[in-house]
Amino acid sequence: MKLQKILSFICAAAIAAGSVDLSAQQKAKGKGKGKGKGPGLLAIPEVEDKDRICFALYTVHDKTLKLTAQLYPIPEGQPREVRLEVKKDGEWSEVAKTTVIERGWTAPFRVENWDDSKATAYRVAHGTEAFYEGTIRKNPTDKEEIIVAGYTGNSIQPRHGGDISRQDLIDNVKRIDADVLFFSGDQVYDHHRHYAAWLKFGRDFGEIIKDRPTVCLPDDHDAGQPNLWGESGKVSTLQGASDGGYIQPGDYVQEVERAQTSHLPDPVDPEKIGQGIGVYFTNLNWGGIDFAVLEDRKFKTGPAGRVPKQGPRPDHIRNPEYDPASVDIDGAVLLGERQLKFLDSWTQDWSKSEMKVALSATIFCGGAHIHGAADGRLHADMDSNGWPQSGRNRALAALRKGYAFHYAGDQHLATIFHHGIDEHRDAIWSFCVPSIANLYLRWWEPLEPGANREDGSPEYTGDHLDGFANKVTNYAAANPEKKPAGNLLNTRSAGWGVVRLNKDTREITMECWPRNVDVTDDSAEQYPGWPRTISQFDNYNPPSWGKLGELTFDVEDPVVQLIDAETKEILYTVRANGKTFTPGAPKGKAFIVKVGKDAPDTTVSEKAEVGSEPQSVELK
Amino acid sequence: MPDTRLLLLLRIGSFLCFAGWAWVHFYWQAPYGKLLWNDGTFSLAEKLGIEWDDFVGSGANDGFIQKWSGWIGWLYLLCAVLSLTAKKASRWQLAGLLGGCGLLVILSFAKYLGAQQQLPMFVEHGGQMLMPALLVAALAKGVRHRTTEIVAIVALIATFAGHGAYALGFHWPTPANFFGMTRVILGIEQDAAKIFLLVAGILDFVICVGIFISWARRPCVLYAAIWGLLTALARPVSGMSTDLNFWGADQFVHEAILRAPHYVIPLFLFFLWKRESDAPVADLSISPEQTNLSTES
Repeated sequence: MKLQKILSFICAAAIAAGSVDLSAQQKAKGKGKGKGKGPGLLAIPEVEDKDRICFALYTVHDKTLKLTAQLYPIPEGQPREVRLEVKKDGEWSEVAKTTVIERGWTAPFRVENWDDSKATAYRVAHGTEAFYEGTIRKNPTDKEEIIVAGYTGNSIQPRHGGDISRQDLIDNVKRIDADVLFFSGDQVYDHHRHYAAWLKFGRDFGEIIKDRPTVCLPDDHDAGQPNLWGESGKVSTLQGASDGGYIQPGDYVQEVERAQTSHLPDPVDPEKIGQGIGVYFTNLNWGGIDFAVLEDRKFKTGPAGRVPKQGPRPDHIRNPEYDPASVDIDGAVLLGERQLKFLDSWTQDWSKSEMKVALSATIFCGGAHIHGAADGRLHADMDSNGWPQSGRNRALAALRKGYAFHYAGDQHLATIFHHGIDEHRDAIWSFCVPSIANLYLRWWEPLEPGANREDGSPEYTGDHLDGFANKVTNYAAANPEKKPAGNLLNTRSAGWGVVRLNKDTREITMECWPRNVDVTDDSAEQYPGWPRTISQFDNYNPPSWGKLGELTFDVEDPVVQLIDAETKEILYTVRANGKTFTPGAPKGKAFIVKVGKDAPDTTVSEKAEVGSEPQSVELK
Repeated sequence: MPDTRLLLLLRIGSFLCFAGWAWVHFYWQAPYGKLLWNDGTFSLAEKLGIEWDDFVGSGANDGFIQKWSGWIGWLYLLCAVLSLTAKKASRWQLAGLLGGCGLLVILSFAKYLGAQQQLPMFVEHGGQMLMPALLVAALAKGVRHRTTEIVAIVALIATFAGHGAYALGFHWPTPANFFGMTRVILGIEQDAAKIFLLVAGILDFVICVGIFISWARRPCVLYAAIWGLLTALARPVSGMSTDLNFWGADQFVHEAILRAPHYVIPLFLFFLWKRESDAPVADLSISPEQTNLSTES
């Protein structure tokens, strides 16, 4: 009998665990609190009616305002209608209204024929008490320099320093008065409670988001999984998700994307993928900068079972002797055909833009050697966009046709790379920003010194092959401390990035700041290797190229396009800076040169070659 | 069922569990990351005189961590062999199997840490952790000895209570791959999968109670054996495809093999209790009189 009691007690205790938690969950629902253990970081606060609106994100593109208001749960009996009002002549005037989507409590607005030539005060209104105010900025087309603040990896865990206030980030954005905010991914790390975590994100960053266009790209953790190979919406069942697809159900992913991306300009090709999941790849033209918003995870093939095993995980390659070509398998996708088609047209379209920037979750190479901990040396990581190599090369080849600069995150390791396809440095530059708080450490630490390094630069810089034999040239890496170093943010190389796009000089300056410094203080120092300034035209300037004859125009900043005379393939399209432009081109080939004020509609040469004569072009 | 067959059943369960995990150690990556990479572990290593570079490796060479993981795999393989060969008379063999229990406890604890210290992650490994102990008890004391039966019952409760707590998803969120596997295999939508798992979770707890009710315990353990087998097979069934190398067998099959205790232990109890009406092996049940339930109702 004693034994029976003991066993009964064990059984009752196990069952009680479930039932007690049921009670806790019911209480949490009643009080609007989150579920799960932990320090209550993701508790959804009970708010008064006047505070029902948490924050709002917006973009303006092509005279269309899209704004998504994020609300706290609306109690039963209260209206579901949410209004958008703007201030005209000192009075609030309603311009749109919508019904809140209860799953995720978002209220998306869309206003066409938006006058972006002036700043406009707005407020989101719910009921008679809740008002949330912000400013829709004037389109800064006349501004010489467009500043884009970039972030990734928003861990809230205390052990990563995630509980430390974001006030330094808020203050610095205000100090530099950033024109655009770019959150490249992992705004949310909780894999089950996106809504609660997104509200916390809004409480942390809403103060700067409400007043400037913001681009958010939901990455793997936002979607509720450790890594993400979207594979067109397949269901993933393998631990780690390397079989491709989504671990969370489609409606969860839809909620995430609605919260984070429904304020982006309309997708250029809105056809849905599997499980009813949408797509959001598009472009945002703001202040003369044309941003391509890439969804680099959505179509990507999962490697498990498709590539020969080369390491302890299906997505990790530990064997340095492996043949990189063996994993570049037929049919493996990085960017989908629809995305490549979009990039093809995007790189040719220079209307209202002087520079182009591609925004994506991560960079197009294996940008780290050591993963997770100092013992975690991998030869290659297929979660990176270095794999599949053919897909990576297709993406870079598409982007360089528009001289696009690449701004990304995800790696938890800030880096600057100049990418190569056929030779080192023949494609675009990328800047990967550091994590806001660093959940998972990575190091760029090649075993061999890089070739062609700049004088005095660290050995890890220079020309390298990444683990997939992709050609990369490193210029900077903000490696964290090697040993566990407590909870300090900056020993884990936390921080944020700034990209300054100067439309007059066509220069791009990358800044990489640690946390908790005043970036306007002269004594504040960036991570080693930053700042770095490059030219827009460095994004497609292969070392092996020569120069065609100089073109002189009778108008400022025309669009120039080079087409291979034999294959008719477009080599590139770019807006010149000023009244002269000397096109670069491969040696030994002939090119058709087309020029125009805003589109390359006038052929000025049928067979231009490297070394050909200068030419004057009339476009007036 | 003869005692020899019952013992064979336990041997097979233990062998498959160790063999599955040995496969993980040799072929994939054992889940020790959270356990090894922390200040506490390194501090301990330092006290033992192990330098940093020796601990984590130089990058080009393996350090203590990588070598240690490799050695563990051999121990799992040894335990798999012992599962088939251990004899009552050989104390070192029985001690080796109990050491295997310790290995599985460490591994389960590492998984628990990796799962953000969610209790069900540790508890649901109870069947695997106790499988070698169950075999040792059967060898040392006999398959029908009360100790053997108690270990089997505790192992079963742990497995199904842990699994049930996850399936219910009330406190610890249901792992998303539970939904994914259910949807892929049954071809149902998310809402239906939620209901399915909710019912499955409730039944997991019903089993934990039902094995103490004399008339219900054999149906309960039979259901547990079937459900344990199905959940183990769910991994390869949902994930394997003719499009994959080896049909994806190397990715998924070991997931079913190492979960052998989830269906072997209930099956053991099912056969063990077959003769219950003739000669109860232990007074663990609650009689109909005690529960005011009639077997004829």
